[in-house]
Parts: sequence; C-alpha cells; structure tokens
Amino acid sequence: MRFDRRSVNVGLAAGLATSMLSRSARAADTLKIGMVLPATGPAAAVGGYALAGAKIALDRINKSGGVLGKQLELVTEDDQTTNPGAVLAFSKLAAQPDIIAFLGPVRSTQNHAIANDILKTAKPFCFGGTDPALTKMGNPWMIRFRPNDTYSARVIASYGVETLGKKNWALVHSTDAFGASGNKLLTAALDKLGAKVAIDQGYPNQSQDFTPVVLAIKSSGADVIGSYFTYENDQAIFARQLRQLGVTIPWVGSPTTVAAATLKLAGPALWGTYAVADYATDSSPEAKEFAKLYSAVSSAPPDLQSAWPYDAIGALSIGINKAGSTDPGKIRDAMLSVKGYRGAEGEYNFDQFGDGLHGYNIVRNEKGAIVFDKHIEFTD
Amino acid sequence: MDFFLQLLFTGIGIGAVYALVALGFVLIFRATSVVNFAQGEFSMVAAYLMVVFAVDLGWPYWVAFLISIAGMALLGAVFNLTVYYPLRNRSFLPVLISTIGASIFLSNSVLALYGPQPQVLPGWLETPGFQLGPVYLDSQYLIIIGVTLVLVGFQYWLFERTLLGKKLQATSQDKEMATLLGIPVAEMIMITFVYSAVLGGIAGILVAPVLFVSIQMGSTIALKAFAATIIGGFGDIAGAILGGFAIGVIETFGAAYISVPFKDAFAFLVLILFLIVRPQGIFGERVAEKA
Repeated sequence: MRFDRRSVNVGLAAGLATSMLSRSARAADTLKIGMVLPATGPAAAVGGYALAGAKIALDRINKSGGVLGKQLELVTEDDQTTNPGAVLAFSKLAAQPDIIAFLGPVRSTQNHAIANDILKTAKPFCFGGTDPALTKMGNPWMIRFRPNDTYSARVIASYGVETLGKKNWALVHSTDAFGASGNKLLTAALDKLGAKVAIDQGYPNQSQDFTPVVLAIKSSGADVIGSYFTYENDQAIFARQLRQLGVTIPWVGSPTTVAAATLKLAGPALWGTYAVADYATDSSPEAKEFAKLYSAVSSAPPDLQSAWPYDAIGALSIGINKAGSTDPGKIRDAMLSVKGYRGAEGEYNFDQFGDGLHGYNIVRNEKGAIVFDKHIEFTD
Repeated sequence: MDFFLQLLFTGIGIGAVYALVALGFVLIFRATSVVNFAQGEFSMVAAYLMVVFAVDLGWPYWVAFLISIAGMALLGAVFNLTVYYPLRNRSFLPVLISTIGASIFLSNSVLALYGPQPQVLPGWLETPGFQLGPVYLDSQYLIIIGVTLVLVGFQYWLFERTLLGKKLQATSQDKEMATLLGIPVAEMIMITFVYSAVLGGIAGILVAPVLFVSIQMGSTIALKAFAATIIGGFGDIAGAILGGFAIGVIETFGAAYISVPFKDAFAFLVLILFLIVRPQGIFGERVAEKA
C-alpha cells in the first residue's frame, strides 16, 4: 500500500476530527467543575488534602448517578500558593466555557486577588477563605463553605474569657488579609467581653524566627494567647519557640492550630492548646463518616482543608439538581436556598451573602489527639 | 539584658545559616563570575536527602549525614557539567538563566519525587536546648554556630595554606593567567561547584530541624544570603560571612525593637542602603580593586 502526501493529510484530518468528536461527546456527558488549588509552593500539602476531599465527594456523587444524569468532572489548576498564581489559575479555568462552577482557594488573600475575575466570569464560585469581607463585597457569585472569622473570633474570645476565665490577652497574627482581619475581629470581640489586649504582634508570612514575638509575649504579662496563623510551618515554629522560651499560658488558636500539617510539624509543642475548628471528627455523624472515607484514601488525618471541598462538591450537586439546569444564576439561587444540608463541617444554612456556616467547634489537643469539646452556633 | 542576650544568640544562629549559604554564592561567583540562583536549592535537596536516610530509612544520623553530603558533592559535579560547563564561554546572562532554570528543576523534581508535605528532621542532639542563666540556648543553633565557625576556619586554611587553595584563588582571579601557569582551570571550577554544593547542603541539614524541611526552604534562606553577599562585598569570603551574621542580627533586633511585621524589610533596607552608599559592600571586591 502506497501513502502519498494527500492521503496522509486526509488520514490525519479524519483522525483529528474523530478524536475531537469523541472528546466533545465525552465532554457532553460530563459536567465540569474547575478547582483552583495549591499544587506547588508553601501550601502544596494542603492542596493535596483539598483535592482528596473533593474527589471523595465526586466519586460518591458519580457512583450514585451523577448530577442531572451526567457525571461530574474536576478540572484543576495550580495557584502556586501565590496571589498572581491564583489569578492565572482562575483565568485558565474561566476561559473554558464548559466549566459550570468553581472551587477556589482556602486563603482569603488569594480569593481577594481573583474576586474581580469571578465577578466577570459570573458563575458560582465556592471557596474556603474566612475573611468576612469576601461575601460582603457585592460579588454575588462567591459562596463560602467555612464559617467566617466573625464567628471564629467570637468563639476564641468567648472560650478564653468565659470558659478559661482569662482576661489579659496576647494576640499573634499574620499580617495578610486572613490574619489581619481575624485579629481585628478578635480584638473587637474581646473588647465586648471586657477583656484587655496586653500585646498585639503581627508577623510576615514564612518567618524563620519568632524569638522577638515570644519574648514580647513573655514580658507583656498576658495570661492567654489568641492567634491567627495562615501557614502551618509558621505556627509550628512559633509553638516550638514558645515552649522553649518557657511560655506555658493557655492558647486558643484559629483553625490552623489543628490542621494536619501543623500537628505533624509542631508535635508536643501544641499539646494542651485549644482551637476553633470548622471540622472536628466527633462533632457529628456526617463528620465521622467523612473521616472514614478520607482515611481510606489518605494517611493524613482529615481536617478542614479536605472537609470543605468535600462539602462544597456535595452542596453544589444539590444546587445543580435543584436548579434543574446548568444556568449559573439558577445554580447560585438554588445553592443559596439550601437549608439544613448536613456536611462534614456542620449544617449549612446559606444566608443572602453566601455564608453557609454560622458557628465553630472548640477542640483540645490532648497529647496529639484532637478532642471535640463543644459547638457554638450563632443565629445573629 | 536577658532580652538582649536571647535576641543576640538567635540572631547569630540565623545569621550563621545565611553566612554558610552566602559562602557558596561567593565561591561560585569568584570562580565563574556567575551568581548561582540554585544555591538555596542545594540546601533544600540536602535536607530532603537527610529525611530519606535518617527518618525514612532510619539510618544512624552521622551515616545519613555523610551520605547526604556525598550526594551533594555529586550534585555539585553534575550541576557544573550540565548547567555551567556547556555555557562557560557565553556571556553572564545565559549562565544566570541556566542556574534559575536549574533551581526550578530541582524544586519541582523534589516535589514530584517526595510530595508537597513538609517534613520533620530531628536535631543532632536529643536535648532540645540548655538554659544558661537567663538565656535559652537552642542546641541546634549552638551546632549551627559551631559548624559555621569550623567551616570558616577550614576555608581560611584551604585558601591561604594549601596549594589547592592557591590554585582555586588563581582561577577565580584570572582564568587565562591560571591556564598559562598550568593550573587545570576546568578542574578547579569543578571543585568549586562541588564545595559550594556541600556548603549549601550542610547549611540545609543544619537548619532543617529549626525551619522544617519543605520545597521552598532553600529560596527563603537564599534570598537573605544573597543580600548578605552584597552587604559583605560580592566576591569577598570574609564579607559574605560578616554579611550573613549582620543580616541575622539586624533582622532579629529590628523585629524586637522596631517592628515585627517589617522584620524581612530590615535586611533589604540595609541592602538598599549599601547599594546607595557603598555598592561594593563592606570589604569591596578584591579582584576589582586590583584591576
């Protein structure tokens, strides 16, 4: 058999067309969800946890028949744990017209960076950042799957002042959007409860040494620490130096305190601390079930990083089914009308701003084991 | 006073790490006139090698250390042959870009091989530290300071008291003249890369128990070490060491007495000041002065 240039070209074109047709047929059978996550950079580890959580939910939904009779498909992009990386990753996903909704970063600062592009894209965007401002910027597409810092600050303050009886606080926080906003809210919550801030120490992310911060706390006379750390390694270094320099006062921290990566790095330095946690295994049957599913696919313990994408995919599928179409506006409206959806992080009752959760769990680190204490829910 | 002494100890400890990495920068710059932007990644790779041998395989710490250092020597040689040597006759820029590419390659290779999870490497000693009067001495920082001083002494002996050191210095000062004198320049450059990779590796292994082992640990240290080399005087060994210690102490005291959020800014503020007031650094650049 002889092949001339023309027959080769015709063959190639036919092959290409067949491949494109089959790809487009396959695409028509699936509903695509874009996910921006850190696959590289300082938060690469938590990106892996988030992907595992999302995939568990995806597999579960697909095995039970999918959404609107179609299978869900996840398309991921690496945000490199940076704001420009997040913008680039989201723009790559937003350029794909067949993506019907998105899962975004867990860092508030990155969500702020892409908020304008989300508005332009005009499709539901489920995210995990906890800066309260993110759902109050007039961007209707941002739907949050973690309780915001208004609640975490109130729970930290209330537990420290009312349960532990401590009124002289040392506040330690990252200077990024998450840390600064959390600290501001915590200061306001403490003020309301009549407690005093003895010292307020902001630090830049990826600090290699916290000696000045620890020494300042030591000499401040504070009897309790409240903290908002963004990165797990920062919190672990701080915890270790705190113990080495002999500071043993109680510590009530933000959710990073019980993140899997922080617990691994800090080890005994975090024993005896308290934290607000949106995910706690013993907080509900749904959380226990998630822990079981997660432990089958990951050696790391389940935490908020894996729990919120699991819940987001679950609520998104309910929203799409309820909307009965892939129209972005209808999906958004359907999602915001979801009431009483019981996820791994708690019960979702979305308000008009797009906040689904309105309370936090308090947990204790008992020699490395995270023990659920109580859940505090807010109705205002 | 207790506060001051504690800060001084920590500042010197952190500064010692910057000094070690800065030393690697300077050695390669003197030998090849190129800034090696993968110097920080040498530290990261060595720390991961230690995790593999000492933690995952459970080998004795000193055995793991020796094998990791041998691995770094090999990496230095391969780096020279693949990143520098093919471009040795090109201008400054292609080699610089080649080292940036190598830095990205090393980071992503470790990420692909080992995964993104940060790792814990135990310290050399069982005891985490000692209380000396009012000052807590972290045992790992004590080791870092001690090893840095020993290596500085070794460096002085090597360059000032041995024939190999004289050949390395001759190569760094004038390659053409060194060739005319019968010095094997290519071999000297190879030795420089191997030695720099080993130095970076030692810095990484020493600092890993303090900062943990992560993909980006190298770049964090290298940025400050780079500032240290400029402050000390690019190309000057004593300057790199002094610059490293200076950055460590300045940022620690700046954070404590002025502002913690501006901690990283202090190092670069000093760097900018030097670039304006004394661009040649504390000790200047010996080769340039001779010329």
